[in-house]
Amino acid sequence: MFRNNYDNDAVTFSPQGRIFQVEYAQEAVKQGSVVVGLVNKTHAVLVGLKRNAEELSSYQKKIIEIDSHMAIAIAGLASDARVLSNFMKQQSLGSKMTYGRPIPLDRIVAQIGDRAQTNTQHYGKRPYGVGLLVAGVDEAGPHLFEFQPSGLTHEMVACAIGARSQMARTYLERNLDKFEDCSRDELIQHGLSALKETLSQDKELTIDNTSVGVVGVTNGKKESFKLYEGQETAALLEVLEQRESAGAEGESMEVDS
Amino acid sequence: MDHFPGTWGRPRNDVYGAYDASYLQTTGPKAHTSSPAVTGTSVVGVKFNGGVAIATDNLASYGSLARFSDVKRLRSFGDNAMVGFGGDVSDMQYLDRLLESMDIRENYSAHGNMLNAKNLHTYLAKVFYKRRSEFNPLWNHVLVAGFDGEGEPFLSSADLLGTTFSAPHLATGFGAHLAVPILRRKFPEEMPLAEVTQEAAVEALKECMKVLFYRDARSIDKYSIAVITKDGIDLKEDEQIQGQSWAFAERIKGYGAQVV
Amino acid sequence: MTSIGTGYDLSNSVFSPDGRNFQVEYAVKAVENGGTAVGIRCKDGVVLAVEKIITSKLLKPGANKRIATVDRHVGIVSSGLVPDGRHFVSRARDEASSWRGTYKGPIPTNALANRLGGYVQAYTLYSSVRPFGVTAIVGGWDSEAEVPVDGQVGSGPKSGSGGKVEGAKAGGPGLYMIEPSGLYWGYYGAATGKGRQAAKAELEKLDLTSGNLSLADGVKEAARIIYVAHEDSKDKEFELEMTWISSVDGPTKGRHEEVPKDLLEEAEKAAKRSLEGDDEDEEDKGQGEQMEE
Repeated sequence: MFRNNYDNDAVTFSPQGRIFQVEYAQEAVKQGSVVVGLVNKTHAVLVGLKRNAEELSSYQKKIIEIDSHMAIAIAGLASDARVLSNFMKQQSLGSKMTYGRPIPLDRIVAQIGDRAQTNTQHYGKRPYGVGLLVAGVDEAGPHLFEFQPSGLTHEMVACAIGARSQMARTYLERNLDKFEDCSRDELIQHGLSALKETLSQDKELTIDNTSVGVVGVTNGKKESFKLYEGQETAALLEVLEQRESAGAEGESMEVDS
Repeated sequence: MDHFPGTWGRPRNDVYGAYDASYLQTTGPKAHTSSPAVTGTSVVGVKFNGGVAIATDNLASYGSLARFSDVKRLRSFGDNAMVGFGGDVSDMQYLDRLLESMDIRENYSAHGNMLNAKNLHTYLAKVFYKRRSEFNPLWNHVLVAGFDGEGEPFLSSADLLGTTFSAPHLATGFGAHLAVPILRRKFPEEMPLAEVTQEAAVEALKECMKVLFYRDARSIDKYSIAVITKDGIDLKEDEQIQGQSWAFAERIKGYGAQVV
Repeated sequence: MTSIGTGYDLSNSVFSPDGRNFQVEYAVKAVENGGTAVGIRCKDGVVLAVEKIITSKLLKPGANKRIATVDRHVGIVSSGLVPDGRHFVSRARDEASSWRGTYKGPIPTNALANRLGGYVQAYTLYSSVRPFGVTAIVGGWDSEAEVPVDGQVGSGPKSGSGGKVEGAKAGGPGLYMIEPSGLYWGYYGAATGKGRQAAKAELEKLDLTSGNLSLADGVKEAARIIYVAHEDSKDKEFELEMTWISSVDGPTKGRHEEVPKDLLEEAEKAAKRSLEGDDEDEEDKGQGEQMEE
């Protein structure tokens, strides 16, 4: 790795108009374990791959509930994510308190985006070293947003961030057309399939390293955010396995070609 | 000659004793507004099957003086929410600006997620409660009309103390005493909302406005009425009370010219 | 004199010996890579348009708006670092809101541009901040009609003092472009971002100074110009986003709104048609057939 004169802080432009500190912060996101998010007409789903430091240690939390209508999945510095999630929880609670309304997703995403931007324009601050997937429902239906350390936010149909997430994104792009009209349970399976794509040869999805979060709204009726972890994911993973073995002949043909 | 204008017009010290200036003291607890100045009187609202109707007269009084006679005390918020203001008019103007800036903020993004009448009411009640807790109340009693999150007709009140109250028909100020009994007779408790038509609700409001004009000395015969339905707000701001008959007043002391 | 290696380009607010602030110039570089944005000041309104390069298939189509509403009557589109653009817009909204707090009415577009110019300039003054990596186009319509004062509840006295000049014309369209240095000018037609050169060339052909172009035609021209400006990066897909602000008696009633879907699609179709015409023979399609030279 080489240093240059323009990467000491986030308040210096390079001659090409780049801000290296921000770009380096994006790298921190790629070090985090992968998380995947996707939406259909009624639901938003987050799935994450949890890492443990060693065999006997616990697993790092990947999905954080912000409110009953919204959650985030994180990749990168977990402590930065905690700062942001605490902020989001406060804002969400504030909206419920003053207006009796769950905070609209685009609103809260814009708020963390603005916060992150501030860190890239003022000396003495550093960009957040975490990327987020924000999933939830509001009056306008289900949403999925990607948040980056630069303060850039995008509304997505599906997204994956973190280590080896390119594999997941390839899966998502390939199956993009199937998401919108699929069922809640199918959407979860698509998420898990995308997650599985990122695993290295010796790894597999287990009830210990898999997190699944679902939130939805069907005909105006809200389904509060539900986090599946540990034993609760067993059934979901079982379905995944069945699907894979069943689809092994039919589907893998085109995938492998 | 007394050269101090501040003492002019005061009771003479040599006759009435020294003026008691104690109430003018500059020390002691800080005092904010302790009474309204220019005021609007009653607001009346009725829910019906498919929306809410709400009315106020167009008068702003300065004490007992009918000071401004074309004041609009019904203010719309978004496409189907309405606030009717009773009480201090300058505080109402402040709240109107507050709601205006909130409306602008809400419309930064164009799609969905508008605040409904229920959200608005929750917010206004919080503003009132905060201000009264600072002992600096906004001297109003408002009715908020429109729809709630489920799309049902919504009507609720909030006052200067932050008190909230909700009912199928509501009235503030003098109306709470004079209009509510009329509305309760017309729309008894056991009558389901589905049976209350828009026409009946509007008719009842007109009746209430008339009775209020008869008996509320701080009212005027010009009024505003709004009907809020899913299609939007139908606001009329220059209505005249129809079919008055003052015959009843003939032999009642306090009305018109009195001989003894 | 070159900037690199001299050390004069490592900190904001530092002049080089020949009087330049390199950090500001580098910020301009960030803008030059952004999607093309244009604004056209028409006789009865203002159009804003931006080319949004689709960086991923996974982006939700039609979401991720890049033109923001400020108050009710002003829109801002920017090119460059998108989060900086959002910071800029957020400041604009604060300015508009504080103006209302003081003057009880909407902020005139020129006053807003002035305040924003001042704000952006302040970010060139200190080594503790970096300049804005955006060039922003601010478009607005100042009401030509009498607007009620915020919180106004009646019509006031029917007779008495007034002080208004009878027949004096007030309000109208406003279009300003603010650069990373804080410099801003008023424009008839403004363009920034990657395809600004092509866009400017097209704008200059429109004869905007005579003030004859109608808003409806402006919408079509803006769409066409974005398509022309996109020619150089044809391999990338893009989405066209357009908003407009009409006069008080026009289609948006003085408000800043998205151009309705059917109009947008019509304008896009016409834009594509005129480009195809360019490639084959010089077909007649309004102004600006010849692309270059």
